[in-house]
Amino acid sequence: MQGASTGIGYGLKYQARCITDVKADFDHTTFLAGTLSLKEENEVHLIRLSAPGTELICEGLFSHQHEIWDLASCPFDERIFSTVFVSGETYGAAVWKIPELYGQSNSPQLEQLVSLDAHSGKIKCILWWPSGKHDKLISIDEENLFLWSLDSSAKTAKVQSQETVGMLHNLSGGVWDPHDQNAVAAICDSSIQCWDLRTMKKTNSIEHAHVRNADYNPKKQHILVTAEDECGIRIWDLRMPKVPTHELPGHAHWTWAVRHNPEYDQLILSAGTDSAVNLWSSSAVISDDSITESSPDSPTRQIDPLVCSYSDYEDSVYGLAWSSREPWIFASLSYDGRVVVESVKHFLPKN
Amino acid sequence: MGDEIPLDEKSRRMRDLLSSFYKAASNSPKSPSLDTINSSSFDPDVYMNLLIQQSNLEGLLQRHVEMAAEIKNLDTDLQMLVYENYNKFISATETIKRMKNNIVGMEANMEQLLDKIMSVQSKSDGVNTSLFERREHIEKLHQTRNLLRQVQFIYDLPTRLGKCIKSEAYADAVRFFTGATPIFEAYGESSFRDCKKASEEAMGIVVKNLQAKLYSDSEPVLAKAEAVVLLKRLDYPVDSLKIKLLEKLKCLLPELQIEFREAEATVSISDEASKTGPHTDSLSSLPSEGSRNQVSISDFSERVRAFRIIFPDSEMQLMELTQDLFSKHFETVQQLIKKRINSANLLVMLRVIWTDLAMIDEVLPEAALLTYTLEAARGVIKQYVSSSFSHLLLDVSESLKRVQNKPKEGSAEDSTLQIALESGKKAVIQGSMDLLLDFRQLLDDSQQLLAKLRDLMIDWVQEGFQDFFRALHNHFLVFSGRNMSIKLDPALMEGQGEKVLAGLFLVLAQLSIFIEQSAIPRITEARSASFSGGGVRRYEYGPAFVPAEICRMFRSASEKFLHLYITMKTQKGSILLKKRFTTPNWVKHKEPREVHMFVDIFLQELEGIGTEVRQILPHGLVRKHIRSDSAGSTNSSRSNPMREDKMRKKNTHRTQSQLLESHLAKLFKQKMEIFTKVEHTQESVVSTIVKLCLKSLQEFVRLQTFNRSGFQQIQLDIQFLRNPLKDFVEDEAAIDFLMDEVIVGAAERCLDPIPLESAILDKLIQAKLAKIRDLRHGS
Repeated sequence: MQGASTGIGYGLKYQARCITDVKADFDHTTFLAGTLSLKEENEVHLIRLSAPGTELICEGLFSHQHEIWDLASCPFDERIFSTVFVSGETYGAAVWKIPELYGQSNSPQLEQLVSLDAHSGKIKCILWWPSGKHDKLISIDEENLFLWSLDSSAKTAKVQSQETVGMLHNLSGGVWDPHDQNAVAAICDSSIQCWDLRTMKKTNSIEHAHVRNADYNPKKQHILVTAEDECGIRIWDLRMPKVPTHELPGHAHWTWAVRHNPEYDQLILSAGTDSAVNLWSSSAVISDDSITESSPDSPTRQIDPLVCSYSDYEDSVYGLAWSSREPWIFASLSYDGRVVVESVKHFLPKN
Repeated sequence: MGDEIPLDEKSRRMRDLLSSFYKAASNSPKSPSLDTINSSSFDPDVYMNLLIQQSNLEGLLQRHVEMAAEIKNLDTDLQMLVYENYNKFISATETIKRMKNNIVGMEANMEQLLDKIMSVQSKSDGVNTSLFERREHIEKLHQTRNLLRQVQFIYDLPTRLGKCIKSEAYADAVRFFTGATPIFEAYGESSFRDCKKASEEAMGIVVKNLQAKLYSDSEPVLAKAEAVVLLKRLDYPVDSLKIKLLEKLKCLLPELQIEFREAEATVSISDEASKTGPHTDSLSSLPSEGSRNQVSISDFSERVRAFRIIFPDSEMQLMELTQDLFSKHFETVQQLIKKRINSANLLVMLRVIWTDLAMIDEVLPEAALLTYTLEAARGVIKQYVSSSFSHLLLDVSESLKRVQNKPKEGSAEDSTLQIALESGKKAVIQGSMDLLLDFRQLLDDSQQLLAKLRDLMIDWVQEGFQDFFRALHNHFLVFSGRNMSIKLDPALMEGQGEKVLAGLFLVLAQLSIFIEQSAIPRITEARSASFSGGGVRRYEYGPAFVPAEICRMFRSASEKFLHLYITMKTQKGSILLKKRFTTPNWVKHKEPREVHMFVDIFLQELEGIGTEVRQILPHGLVRKHIRSDSAGSTNSSRSNPMREDKMRKKNTHRTQSQLLESHLAKLFKQKMEIFTKVEHTQESVVSTIVKLCLKSLQEFVRLQTFNRSGFQQIQLDIQFLRNPLKDFVEDEAAIDFLMDEVIVGAAERCLDPIPLESAILDKLIQAKLAKIRDLRHGS
């Protein structure tokens, strides 16, 4: 059943949706995964890839009472992360601190630094600024966008500014521009809206996009990749929001998540509800386009942008994270709670 | 020293030998030393010594005898010589003596002669002086007479000119006049004024007559040419005449042009008529048009020929003129091509042009009309080929556009897609075949002009097909691209047009398949039958028409369109489902009373897809046996009744164990192939859409949290869907699996997953079915 997979597996106890890379851990390749169990006590797993890269080790197991719908690791402190959780009908969001482990991994309690409790609606996600130390946090619920000022040592967080985007928009997520501390792209029903955090005003928007997930290009400013139910994956230049610059076919069913590789920005990873993770090369698309434009006589030279498709999953894949320490490694999490870490080293562009 | 002597001797001997060889012929018997007797450097002592040394006594004696005899001989010889010479000397002295005597008397005679000559000279001088005066007088008289004769000629000139005019001897008149011109120039202002005036008047008449001659059509060409020569000799501005004549020729051009156009017009009209009537009519009427045209062109060519003879240095203008004529011809042809003509008409026109060309080329070979026309004809035919392809493209797109516009009437919607598909197919295949036939007509024509272009034409046609299909492909993509943008427009998405557009995708998909599978092979076949050859195109470009490439293109296009269709339909389903799942508060859901109405809408949607698909796509193979097999395999792990039993029994610690169980089940079960490759069959397309929608349903369910009633509502809806969905779908196992997944998903996301009793489930479903029946009856 495993096929010729090179992936390293790790089983969570329950169903799960969220996995994230611990960016601030410079010594190890570490991921955080949170479970999604409606009725049981949920868990946060700190998973570390062993030094030879052959094994996934549970470095810490922490209980988290409510089911986790969003999980984000602090980019400058490896022991801090945030979750969005639901209990019954109520949504909550908090920033947690992993206690000192002293070697043993027997469920010590997580320390709740801050509870981001200004929301009333369904909280969708919490965003850290991805590029480094920044004392601000963004939380997004269906109608509002909050900018928090976080003081982790004093364990306080204050709402610095807030904007209600209105009932109609129905936000479902967002991305923080790694090139600009003041720009956030919020995903709503039928568009992507770019907000300026200083003025809390909408600056730009991509209309008609039914986006499920989005990711900024870590190397090139203004470039955004989006995952859409129907149209697969599209790459946009925010300076020209009318038409996407490139399109990739996406998945057989919904494309749930999409991520740029942190180092090799032409590599794009996507996870879908067709139980597959696809690795794309946008450079193939770009070069392909230039070829067809320059000489329409040579359609034989079309390159398939799909580099590799990992389909060893039993269920829909919702969680996806590149490792920032070893950028050829990614972790994926399918709904049945299986974490698979794969290496794409042999697909990397050779220089 | 001893060494040198032999060397000396040796060399001397050599010398002797050589000299003996060279001189042996003259005195062979004697020894070399003895021959010096005849030379100037004869030394008697040496000779004697030598003789004594060499000869014996007897020899010496003999030698002495010989020598004495020789000396005696020599003596007598000498004596003889002296005598002879003496005689000669004596006779010479006698001759000289006689000469001396003769010369003494000659001097006196010479003096006498001198005297006589002197006297003759003096006498002749006298005669000369006496005659001189008279001779001068005679010469003067002669000059005067000549002058008088000239004056007489000039006074006579007008009358003479008049006579010439009368007898039409213009050449003489001109000759006379030009003879008199220097005198007129010298004395015209003074003594010969009247005379000059009169003769100039006469010359005016001459010029006028000559001009008239030039312009009159009846005069023979040679006469005209002569007239021009005469006029030129009179310093008359011939160029202006020439320009005038050219103008006249030019005036002829539009007439020609008009006739040409008339010919075409009648051609096209007659051809229009022939579309209904038999084709031969138009063909029979064509030659007459051609001949009529020929008359005028022969006239024109005659004129050109005359012009050339009259003005021998006028090629340039004539060339311009004729080229103008032909470029105008081709212009009209091009304009007509824009208006869409068939190849027969084109042929007629080209034939007309060709005959014109032949005539004019005969008259004016310098104009290089052949190359010019060939070039132009090349352009025209190329344009014709490309324009006919673009017309074909237009036709096809027209037939497709009809799909978009028509169905708004609504009632006839059932078969519009089919009609569109059929008309599209017909447009493609019939159009291409007609084109091929058309081009073939062009090719088969035996005209020289076309024959030269044959290879090129074949290439153009091939290229044309390649470009046509490429353009068609692009056109299809543009269709889809435009529709994409419309689709993305939320206002239009709900509108009436959307359904039609989705249908259009289906049409496009099937049309692409058709092109790939039957149109291209047919065209290839027909093409290779009649369009073999070519190859003027350089080899490195490869063959112009690559059916395989086109096939590949359209195959991928058809897949793309099918996917687009499925995507659009699935999207519609997704929107429906999204509304269904995001609106109610599932945690506070009320007891299920009836099957939710979204099911109706969903089924209705599927029904719509079914009718669309049935119009266009073929039936797939019915694969009942496979179906039952795979159903068995799923049932083994996930049979529905079994699960429900389990659900009922193990409510308490279900979630954990159920998760484990489903994991286990999955482990032992073949992975369900939900997303199989779509085929171009009704069943495949519909079931793909259904599968995708069910998968979406599952995903939506997973995003919610349900209370018990919410879960039961889902259970009820899915249970209701089970049977009708199976009517749509070929792959029941996958559908069953997906529906089970939905229920499992809902159970997992349920706070209190107690399913409905199957009795209640049945009751509710029956109620719904009854309601549907009632509705059908009512309507």
